[in-house]
Amino acid sequence: MKVSFPYMGCVTGFKKLFELLGHEVIMPEKPTQRTIDLGVLNSPEFICYPFKIMMGTYIEACEKGAELIVSSGGSGPCRAGIYGDVHKKILHELGYDVEIVIFDSLFENFGAFMNQVFKIKNKTPTLKVMKYAYLVFKMINQMDGIEKELKHLRAYEVNKGDFDKCFDKIKELYDKTYTLKQMKKTYAKALEMLHAVPVNIPPENKRVRIGIVGEIYVIMESSTNMDIEKRLNALGVEVENIQYISDWVKHHIIPRRFSKEESWKMFDKGYQYKSCNCGGHDMENTGAIVHFSQKGYDGVVHLMPFGCLPELITRSIIPQITEDYGIPVLSMSMDEQQGEANIQTRLEAFIDLCKNRSNKQQISPAEAANSKELKKEFAGIM
Amino acid sequence: MRVYLGIDIGSVSTNVIAIDENTNVVFARYIRTNGQPINSVKQGLRELSVQALSDGYEVSAVGVTGSGRQMIGLMVGADVVKNEITAHAAATVHFYPDVQTIFEIGGQDSKIIIVKDKIVTDFSMNTVCAAGTGSFLDHQAERLNIPIEQFGDLALTAENTVRIAGRCTVFAESDMIAKQQYGYSKAEIIKGLCDALVRNYLNNLGRGKVLQPPFVFQGGVAANKGIIRAFEEQVGHEIIIPKYFGVMGAIGVALSAKSQVEASGQPTNFKGFDCIELDFVPKSFECSGCSNACEVIKVIINGEVAAMWGDKCGKWSSSV
Repeated sequence: MKVSFPYMGCVTGFKKLFELLGHEVIMPEKPTQRTIDLGVLNSPEFICYPFKIMMGTYIEACEKGAELIVSSGGSGPCRAGIYGDVHKKILHELGYDVEIVIFDSLFENFGAFMNQVFKIKNKTPTLKVMKYAYLVFKMINQMDGIEKELKHLRAYEVNKGDFDKCFDKIKELYDKTYTLKQMKKTYAKALEMLHAVPVNIPPENKRVRIGIVGEIYVIMESSTNMDIEKRLNALGVEVENIQYISDWVKHHIIPRRFSKEESWKMFDKGYQYKSCNCGGHDMENTGAIVHFSQKGYDGVVHLMPFGCLPELITRSIIPQITEDYGIPVLSMSMDEQQGEANIQTRLEAFIDLCKNRSNKQQISPAEAANSKELKKEFAGIM
Repeated sequence: MRVYLGIDIGSVSTNVIAIDENTNVVFARYIRTNGQPINSVKQGLRELSVQALSDGYEVSAVGVTGSGRQMIGLMVGADVVKNEITAHAAATVHFYPDVQTIFEIGGQDSKIIIVKDKIVTDFSMNTVCAAGTGSFLDHQAERLNIPIEQFGDLALTAENTVRIAGRCTVFAESDMIAKQQYGYSKAEIIKGLCDALVRNYLNNLGRGKVLQPPFVFQGGVAANKGIIRAFEEQVGHEIIIPKYFGVMGAIGVALSAKSQVEASGQPTNFKGFDCIELDFVPKSFECSGCSNACEVIKVIINGEVAAMWGDKCGKWSSSV
């Protein structure tokens, strides 16, 4: 079958899984302005922003002939739980004959989960399915690890754009990897490539670290958050995102009792502020702000789709966390109406605020030299 | 005499100021931008160059802020390009070291900045609507046929208040028209508008924040006495209006430029007053490389492409 899926962060892993299961993969495109326009046009006006983007992505996939779309679900008051059914209805109304398979947590309804597995396993023997799943799981783990490090290092890149090019090449490498043995080599090569990129790392007391928390789709998919991580990196700030696809899988597949995942620790840290999870990732996000503060981060950027219920609850708790732990938090809503100038001004001001609070404002000689370089460049033109 | 320049390119006004070594303001101009930031900066610099020549100024640093900061920074050769929030706070803290809350209302955006021990600890900026900004007042003043300069004084003459819906400019306007038809006087309506603007501003931006005195109110709108009184009524405390309320952003960025140059010990990047004569043309076009259709901005100086930005993929910005 021709399979597609939503585009969220690094999607090499999904592609691999469906290829191994013998499907023809219709690669979803990274959301562009057209995707967003299509999605907005065909979605209810007040639905969340991720719904609209996924809608656009699905329509584009259907245009290319997708017959099956695989996505994740949600539970509780968060509207992600209704995405699958509403998407399906809209796609059918638009005349696309497409099946949508939604994966929910393994523990909530094991039967339903297995049922979905059977829908996509495409007559592959069960043992092989498990083998492929393990391979892909390991792959996304490795890739996410690389991406995490990249978001620290990119703040200090010497030549603008080096890391992005490097990561594109790494993705290509993984794209060509099909066995565990190959993957070992790929991983070593990828790390080597990552560390070969020239960087200019300042002394420890000048490094500024910002955590990113919020609704999973807008914090993971750069095209929906105005490339916020790259913007922060360009301001010379290290970024740590709390959501990666491998974390989501681990959180939902490994039973808590056996899990060493940070997400559960964050869950616990969130409990001091509210007694129940309000849907989505609000409990983790509340806990994560506490977590970043305890780890000595300089600030946290909190992102949510406009009108996101779980994250509005997080936002209402943020002033209290800031008062208790002293960590500055910048909360921003994302939607299709967002203006770039406003975001950039707020980010710059926020980074100034964080630096001032941690007393990292002084200009290093390297920075001064850097601005001189720029001056020379422009002088050439004059 | 050494001077430090600050330029604030806003949506409604462009401010050019110069401070001397003891941070006295020796030159200040408030110029209407009229959608032409480059011309208004050139006009400001031209006036400054005349004074600089007669008084013997030597420009030691230049800072640029405001929505047009990136482009103008390139044009004048700025030492510091800072966002408006940091710039405003820097100036206020300099003049009022014990300030705790800064209200800033400009042409198209408004901010609340919370300061503790001279350090900005929190801020918020309007995101959704322009109902709490200067452009709104400007527009309504025009509609009521009252020069904006007399707007505030007229508000003070009102005997009664009228409540005007301030959620959004469009609704505020229709509500205002309705109240006019009910026979309220112009003065009362203007007072109602001032109250609505301040209410809207405090509700939207002040949410979840503890606002503590001393309060400093700056930005172009601080010239409006009606707004000042509405603030005093609603926060229940006296409001400080700085002497240079209209150009605080420019002063702040001049202060940052001064400290940057002093810290680095490097000479300024300033291109000199000759940059007024440069043929500086910004152009924008829609890239057709992919379906993102980014709006790319291209700056041409004397016929040569000097900088490009606005593209998501870096195709254009890395080509210069």
